Amino acid sequence: MKFSESWLREWVDTALSSDALTERLTMAGLEVDSIEPAAAPFSKIVVGQVLTREKHPNADKLSCCTVDVGGTAPLAIVCGAKNVAAGQHVPVATVGAVLGGDFKIKKSKLRGEPSEGMICSEKELGLAESSDGIMVLPEDAPIGEDVRVYLNLDDNLIDIDLTPNRGDCLSIAGIAREVAALTGDNLTPLEIGVVPNTHENIFPVEVLSDAACPRYVGRVIEGITPNQVSPLWLQEKLRRCGLRSIDPVVDVTNYVMLELGQPMHAFDLETLRGKVTVRQAKPDESITLLNGDEKSLNPSTLVIADEQSVLAIAGLMGGLHSAVTTETTSVFLEAAYFSADAIAGKSREYNVFTDSSFRFERGVDFNVQAQAMERATALLLEIVGGEAGPVIELASPNALPSLPEIYLRHARLQKILGVTLSFDAVTKLLEALQFQLETVEGGWKIKPASNRFDLRIEEDLIEEVARAFGYDNIPAVMPVMPLALDQKAIEANLPALAKNQLAAIGYSEVVTYSFVDSQLQALFAFDGKPLALSNPISSEMDVMRVSLWPGLVQTLQSNLHRGVTSARFFEYGMCFADQDDDLFQQNCLAGLVYGSQAPEQWAEKARKVDFYDLKADVHSLCAALGVQVTFEATDYPGLHPGQSSYILQDDKPIGVLGLLHPQIAQTLKLSGVYVFSMNIDAMSVPNRVRFEALSKFQAVSRDIAFLLDSSIPAAEVKAFIQAQAGEQLKRCFVFDIYEGEGVPAGSKSLALRLVLQSQDETLQEEQINSIMENVISGLTEKFDAKLRD
Amino acid sequence: MQEKIDEILTCALSAVEQATDEAALQAIKVQYLGKKGALTALLKSLGSLSAEERPKVGGAVNQAKQALQEVLQAKQGHFKQAALAEQLAAERIDVTLPGRHRPAGHLHPITLVRRRIESIFMQMGFSVATGPEIEDDFHNFEALNIPKQHPARDMQDTFYFPNGLLLRTHTSPVQIRTMLDKKAPLRVIAPGRVYRCDFDVTHTPMFHQIEGLLVDENISFGNMKAILMAFFEAFFNCDVKMRLRASYFPFTEPSAEVDISCVNCQAKGCRVCSHTGWLEVAGCGMVHPNVLKAVEIDPEAYTGFAFGAGIDRLAMLYYGVPDLRLLFENDQRFLSQF
Repeated sequence: MKFSESWLREWVDTALSSDALTERLTMAGLEVDSIEPAAAPFSKIVVGQVLTREKHPNADKLSCCTVDVGGTAPLAIVCGAKNVAAGQHVPVATVGAVLGGDFKIKKSKLRGEPSEGMICSEKELGLAESSDGIMVLPEDAPIGEDVRVYLNLDDNLIDIDLTPNRGDCLSIAGIAREVAALTGDNLTPLEIGVVPNTHENIFPVEVLSDAACPRYVGRVIEGITPNQVSPLWLQEKLRRCGLRSIDPVVDVTNYVMLELGQPMHAFDLETLRGKVTVRQAKPDESITLLNGDEKSLNPSTLVIADEQSVLAIAGLMGGLHSAVTTETTSVFLEAAYFSADAIAGKSREYNVFTDSSFRFERGVDFNVQAQAMERATALLLEIVGGEAGPVIELASPNALPSLPEIYLRHARLQKILGVTLSFDAVTKLLEALQFQLETVEGGWKIKPASNRFDLRIEEDLIEEVARAFGYDNIPAVMPVMPLALDQKAIEANLPALAKNQLAAIGYSEVVTYSFVDSQLQALFAFDGKPLALSNPISSEMDVMRVSLWPGLVQTLQSNLHRGVTSARFFEYGMCFADQDDDLFQQNCLAGLVYGSQAPEQWAEKARKVDFYDLKADVHSLCAALGVQVTFEATDYPGLHPGQSSYILQDDKPIGVLGLLHPQIAQTLKLSGVYVFSMNIDAMSVPNRVRFEALSKFQAVSRDIAFLLDSSIPAAEVKAFIQAQAGEQLKRCFVFDIYEGEGVPAGSKSLALRLVLQSQDETLQEEQINSIMENVISGLTEKFDAKLRD
Repeated sequence: MQEKIDEILTCALSAVEQATDEAALQAIKVQYLGKKGALTALLKSLGSLSAEERPKVGGAVNQAKQALQEVLQAKQGHFKQAALAEQLAAERIDVTLPGRHRPAGHLHPITLVRRRIESIFMQMGFSVATGPEIEDDFHNFEALNIPKQHPARDMQDTFYFPNGLLLRTHTSPVQIRTMLDKKAPLRVIAPGRVYRCDFDVTHTPMFHQIEGLLVDENISFGNMKAILMAFFEAFFNCDVKMRLRASYFPFTEPSAEVDISCVNCQAKGCRVCSHTGWLEVAGCGMVHPNVLKAVEIDPEAYTGFAFGAGIDRLAMLYYGVPDLRLLFENDQRFLSQF
């Protein structure tokens, strides 16, 4: 809510400076977003009257004027505006005036004609963003008076960012009440008298939805002067509250809304037929709004209608057909109380956001409608004349909100705030807040006024007392609580261990958006069905990620654009999928390697990373987590079918690694990108390590090399050897592998070292030979392996 | 006889003096002290001397042998030293060349700051809780006292899915899940990703929050102030002034915005604090009785407070990162600074 500081000061007489006032408002929860002067910082601009206007002898677009500024003689001023005319009252910057900080008005000659000042536009005074001509002041503007004084320009525009609960402060009256309550300063509320009717004409009204519209106040005003402009003071007040002047009728309704918080609407009486009905919209009804938008109405919408058509969406906006125009001579004024429930959500539904809907959905004082009507009538008659009819008011007392009586307990207040406050001290604070209160056993009974509709429960009042007392005055005291242990924090935190290990072995952690480009994600052809957002922020972020890979690949791409040549990235975060209409959301860990295995350096030859580099990293990661894993070839979506492997824990896949599929890589103009992904939430937490006795006896190693079919995986051979050799085999690893010359096509030579050791004795030659023979004969039988010499 | 001994010793000593390597020393040793050596020969000839002279001459020869041996040893030590020095010099390398291992990676500043926050609260007895990021209306809004059509929903632009689910707009649903699960008393923080449909210089559609919740008998607004104060001082590891401004959140009452004195300029006024000296860093309040009721905790028996702060904002302040978007651009030059 933007408002004029001087208007507020008309309502509350406070000695606080502008800064102190805004500080006070901010601390009390009416956060001041900005404070800016109402006009540009200028001086020596006075009201003048144009006496004569002649065409400039040497320039088509200029005029030579004489202007009376109340001095001894009129000033000669050359003016470039088209609209300048003799007789006008205008703001005149006299010699010595400074505009816009550093533009000084001097005596000068323009195209040979002398000029002793400048006639100003609204823009030059800082009253408008743009103007197409000089500003014309009312005819009664006193000649010679300082324009700052005349237009009351030493004012500030204060913009407060109101929280949704403080709908009561969406008016000058509301903010003034708040300031008075906070400071104890005097409130000088407006005396609103009754404007007696001078004729008996009414326009009939019926309310069919009384729950949504518990009160409707209407009045006919006839014989207003059409095609008028609002007086300057009204225009200025509206401007300083962020509203544009439109015509006197609309301006008056807006003025009353700003002043009292009650949105109003004016219908052109001549367009109305039969009677005004407040009802729910009927199926297939529609309306063309004031702004020209055509809306088809949903039956849950409250509307104002006559016998012919819908006139307005209640609380949001009126229709074009019944709107006041420059020809309007009679109006039907509406001041209604629509319940917040009836209006809430409608702005969003129809995409119509107005000052009116903003107020109604936050709540409006349900007792202010009649006053607003009188105030608007008085202003309207003053500005455009006319004759007022009788006020008609339809109210459903049962549907109007009831004023709650709230019991505030002294003990509860102190308990919640954690501060000792005497009964009397609280009573004083409550009185300062202008509450009607009754002292009862252990506390107070309070009935908030209808304009504080936000106060419903005891905590609301505790907050009021706390605000009045000042949050800063509540002492900070550490709570005293029993010691408590969190076992979860004591046990291993796998994600944290994983992050640390990956960072230790060269991976940098990235944080990418959880929503990705559906087209990019579709390239990977993941199994999970992605969840599409209904309202994505852009087409590049339209679906939830099924995997972390698209984000990692994009991160790689953007870094490659910046000249990076090698990268190791990882991310830990949630992935999402629609699995048979069940929502899958789980934390995943994924990484990417690209480019050189090590940075370019003097000691080692540069080498591109390959599958086994990544596999070693995955191994080291799993070792850090204490998780035993095995690997098994697979054909995983998005990966090269010949270079992709499951990561298994207890034979269950918990992750996958491999080379990004060459087709995807090509589409993304990449190559040699290796990725892994692990479902860390699905891992079983490793068992506690149990100590194994150390053997006192010597270990022996034996090497064997044999030929076998090249399609047989090494891991299978190793597992077989382990089973065949039994528990004496402590370690077994491949130390050489060869295909090519000297080895038949389709075969490979595999060399393994077996390390044998017993827990109980020194192994004898015969025992060792027996184990080795068992292994070799098994290999021959199982894999058709041929032992090499 | 003594003269002869002296003469041999003099020759030997001068030979040692002139020796240039260990081999020469070895030859001298053989020549004088070996089985057929000159001094050994003298000892062998003792038998021809009188019993009276024998010990005298024997002693003199042994003395000479010992003198020679000492000199030989000293010289040998000298050669060893020289050889070692030569070897060491030859083995000198340029230790300023970089090592061979590959460089370490880096944790993201959000992770680092999140850990710092977690460790502070864990020291104060809080547990860390997490929850889903795709939420339902009940946990994200209804249970937090934000009914449908409540204007407070406009405060948070929500991402929706066609089935009515949504991306959580704050970490507060974790409050609800934790309270439903564990009841009171309770001391938890819930860090995590949250989402709002907003993208400009100071907003990203995804960001990180930390939610805190403490519910017990007799928990007050004053307790909340003390915990928040302790947190910010520990986090920035310096003296921090804090002020609470009245505010509104549907799920707390009384509610407040938390400002701390600017840690960038020591509250003197700078670009970071928009020259106000204050930084808005969190929102907080006493848990609204409707929220406690929604999770079946008796608001008469228990009271509590909740707060929420932006992890990204704290990370920016902690590391002096000027632009929120840097946190999500994942520029390697940025990542490798932390």
